[in-house]
Parts: sequence; C-alpha cells; structure tokens
Amino acid sequence: MTSAIGLNGLQKTYPGSPPVRALRNADLTINDNEFFTLLGPSGCGKTTLLRLMAGFEVPTAGELTLFGDDIAHLPPEKRPINTVFQHYSLFPHMTVLENITFGLKRLRKPDAEAKRVAQEMLDLVHLSDFSARKPDQLSGGQQQRVALARALAPQPRVLLLDEPLSALDLKLRQSMRAELKRLQRDTGITFVFVTHDQEEALAMSDRIAVMSQGEIQQVGDPATIYEFPENRFVAEFIGDADFFEAETLGGTSYKLPNGETITGPQTKAAIGAKVTLFFRPEKATLKRAGNGLSGRVSDILYLGNSTDYVVELVQGGSLTVRSENHKDGTAIAEVGSDVVVEIDPAAVRVLSA
Amino acid sequence: MTQKNDIRWLPGFNWVTLFFFLFLYLPLFILVVFSFNASRSATVWSGFSLEWYVKAFANDDIQRATKNSLIIAVFSTTFATTMATMAALTLSRNRAVKRKNLFGGVLILPLMVPEIVTAVATLTFFSAIGLSLGLGNIIIAHSVFCIPFAYLPIRARLDGMDENLEAAARDLYSNKWATLRLVTLPLLMPGIVSGAMLAFIISLDDFIITLMVAEAGSTTLPIYIYSLVRVGITPEVNAISTVLLGVSVLIVTVSYLVGNKK
Repeated sequence: MTSAIGLNGLQKTYPGSPPVRALRNADLTINDNEFFTLLGPSGCGKTTLLRLMAGFEVPTAGELTLFGDDIAHLPPEKRPINTVFQHYSLFPHMTVLENITFGLKRLRKPDAEAKRVAQEMLDLVHLSDFSARKPDQLSGGQQQRVALARALAPQPRVLLLDEPLSALDLKLRQSMRAELKRLQRDTGITFVFVTHDQEEALAMSDRIAVMSQGEIQQVGDPATIYEFPENRFVAEFIGDADFFEAETLGGTSYKLPNGETITGPQTKAAIGAKVTLFFRPEKATLKRAGNGLSGRVSDILYLGNSTDYVVELVQGGSLTVRSENHKDGTAIAEVGSDVVVEIDPAAVRVLSA
Repeated sequence: MTQKNDIRWLPGFNWVTLFFFLFLYLPLFILVVFSFNASRSATVWSGFSLEWYVKAFANDDIQRATKNSLIIAVFSTTFATTMATMAALTLSRNRAVKRKNLFGGVLILPLMVPEIVTAVATLTFFSAIGLSLGLGNIIIAHSVFCIPFAYLPIRARLDGMDENLEAAARDLYSNKWATLRLVTLPLLMPGIVSGAMLAFIISLDDFIITLMVAEAGSTTLPIYIYSLVRVGITPEVNAISTVLLGVSVLIVTVSYLVGNKK
C-alpha cells in the first residue's frame, strides 16, 4: 500500500511558560485511499496534527511527508491537501458556486472547467439547485455539504476534516456519516477525519489513531481498537469498560484482591505480576443464579435497546453489565435484586498494569 | 396605572430623561430654525427665507475655507484609514507580536488625551523640526489624530471575523497577498468604510488642533465660523453650521449603517 501521509518523530511545541507540548514525537503512516480517523478528547493534539498536515502550523521537529515528498515547511497553498473546517468557514461574500470554484480558479483552471467541476461537485453533494445562494441562506447541513464540495473540487490528494459533524443535530449527523463514507469511496481520496466522538470513529473509519495528551496511544482498525485496546486510556475512551486489578497465577488463572480466582486469556506476565483485567459490559451476562461473581443490583440505566445494570459485588467493588432487554419488554432485574454476573473467559482482556 | 407595579419602573426618571433630550437638542434645533429666518436677528422670528444660505454659498471666504476643509479631510482620511487598517491587521492577526492588548490600548489612547495637549504638542513638534507645508501641516496633524477613530471600527470588524476564513483561502491555493485581496479586505470593507467616514467627520469638524497648527491662508471652515462668531452671531453662521451639521449627521449615519452590516 502507498503511504499518503507519513509522520516521523513529528513534534509541535507552543512557546510559553511552561511550553505546551501539543504533539510529542508522532510516528504514523496513513495509507492512500483510506478513511483514517484521529480520535481523542479535546486537548489531545488531534487538531494540532491536522493543522500541521494542512500547513497552518509549522512543526517544531520531525518529518511530514505527502506521498513520499517532504512537505513539513511548505505553505498551505503549495500543498495538494484541502480542509473541511469545523464551522465550515465558507466565504460569506461569495455565492455557493464562487465558493466551490475558488480553489480551481486559484489553480488557474479555465473558467469553463471550473464551472463544470463545480457542477459535478454540487451534484455529488445534492445541492445542484443552490449554486446562486449565499452561505447565510443555507441550513447548517447544506453549508456542511458546500464546505465538502469546496474542499473536494480541486481534487486534493488528501482531504482533512476537522470535526465536521459536531455542529449538526443527531439525525443529520447520522446521515452525514454514511454520506462521508460514500464520498470517500467514490472519490478515492484519502480522508483524515478528526473527531472526539468514538461512535462516529468506529462507524466510519478504515483505521483509527487514538490520541491522548499529545501522543498517539494506539493505531488500528475499529474492531481491534475496541476489542483489543493496548492500554487503559484506549479501553476507557472507546466504549465502556469494567476493570479489575488482579494477580497472575500462571496459565489462564488470575487472582482477584479478595482471593477469588477468575479465568481469562493466556498472559506472558510472570506469575505473581499485577495486571489489570477488563471486559466490555455487554459481554458479561446477568443471571438470577449460576456460576460467577455474585452481587446486588444498585442502579439501572435504561438505554432503549439495552439496559445498564450496576452491580455491587458481594466481595466489594462494583461493575456494570449491559444487557439486551427481554423480547416482551420486561426487565431482567430490579434495583435490589440478588444477581450473578457470568463472565466468559474469552471476553476478558489483560492490560499491562 | 399598571406602570406603578412594573418592577423596573423608577418614579421621576422619565422626566429627567426628557429634559436631557431637550437640553441636548434644543440649541441645535434653534440654530437650524433661525438659519431660515428672514430678518437679520438671531433671536426674533420674522418669516421663512433661504437668503442666508444663498449669501453663505456666495461668500468667497467661506468657499475657500470649505475647500481647505475638504482637501484636508480627504487626504487625512486616506492616510489615517490606510494606517489604521494595517495596524489593525498587525495587532489582530500577527502571532509574532507580543503584548497586543498593550499596543492596542496605546493606539487608542490619544482619544483620552485632552485635545489641547495634543494641539500644543503638535505645534511644538512642528516648529522644532521646522515643518512648514501650509495645508500639509494640518493634513499630517489630522492624519495622526484620526488614526484611533478609524482603527476602532476596523479592529472590531476584524475581531468578529472567523480567522479560519483566511486559513480556508490559504488552504485553497491563495498566497498571503491573494488572501488579503480576495477574502480579508472584502470582508473588512464595512469596517474600513465606517472607520474612514468617522475619520472624515473628525477631521472636518476639528477646531483646536487646526487652530494651533494652521498657517496663514490655511483657514478651515470651523475656524472661519469661529472668526465670524467673534464679530457677532448672524443667520449666515447659522446657515453654514446647519450645512456642516447636516453633512456630519449624514456621514455618521451611513458609517453606523455600513459598520453594522452583516
């Protein structure tokens, strides 16, 4: 696979006292024709990384390549990379058509070609009838589409998207997810998408880089990131997780602090080493009786398609179990019910402590 | 009365406010009315006439003073607005400039300095360096004190502008100058027009600084009016003042409307 964007020890530090290390030593390869997502909480460095790729910021150290060429110190207008901004940033004094042809005209494309490409782009985002409107005569969703069309029109090698869905309401956001995936497939352009919404990232991406405190924590496809997080931050940030501190007993056995043993996966850790075990709340089963950790339901959060049961364990501590609701709509347990939590050993993961 | 029960109503304040408006506008109203008076008296009404306007417009001295005022206002507005625009862009956009707030504050400080102090300082400075350019002296002085007036609306407009618009232009293959020409300046234009109009009015109406630095032959309209008043108030003075008032109100209104345009 060809590398579209390569980072090698890329760093960005903002001067100040103390200096802000927005991006520390990032190494990353984004493949050609990939839907790649930078995911993390605010302040994790994902927007800084995007602005470095766009050329709005100059790196403090490290390499940044675009299809093998060093672009770290090129100004934004010299990079075949376009950006969709979080608040769209359409030019308010220009019509939709003028916005979309802006990049093409700056690239000295003939007027006729610019018009033709703009028309194609308008068709692509279903806004053909809006070309003469000004941005303030469009709804948020429509402005979003114009921003996409404007950034796609010059046919960039890479498209950067800075939380483009965050200003839309839920329904629109969901339909735009599918739309963006379709656009990426149809155009074959590499998309680099920035978001803090893990659900969005899992739904749309070919691969995800999870970031925290200026560092890339893990890179992988959505299923790997969700099923096999490499550290506690990733496990906690993507989806929900129940954690246990435990001690390895060798093989597949682990001892919980209260002395009980629990079965999990093989580990390379030495016998007696402290590890953190975790599982996803939907992978445990809540039963009235059976084998497992016994406890009492202390809280219930009804989520519609499922319900979260918070269980206070008899031996101390609590965990959350997510359970599908019964077909007839009745609850599995009530607050105060005595229950048993069954954990399938295959669902347990080991994090290095 | 339901007003008594309104939790926001304060007894007597309405009357004070009304008095304030009268105090503010009654003198101006009288000045305008008597500029149309048929007799020479500036206090007794004796019928409508445009005689004083005709006389004022035909007066050679008034024509000369008006011409001077307009030349000064046009040039100093151009200089002040250009410099204010560049200063606003630097103080709002240039990341390399430290202590932007301090510089911004110092830039508009002349608005607070007593005008007589500025006037004396300018006069002293000009004679120290031996500057004697006729109208040029006044143009330089006006350009300087008009900068803060032009700066304020331009800066306000710039601060309300999404910086990512300029980033978007850069992103779409425009270099610095193309971005300035195609995006920043067109979007800044209402602020620039508003600032220019404000500077124009301030220059046109200025008296104290002009009086200090004006050389013989550089009489402006406000100074000419003052010299007439010293001899005695005539309806002719009322007429010129009314015209000046009308122009000021018109320009300030347009400046306000343009400056508040979305």
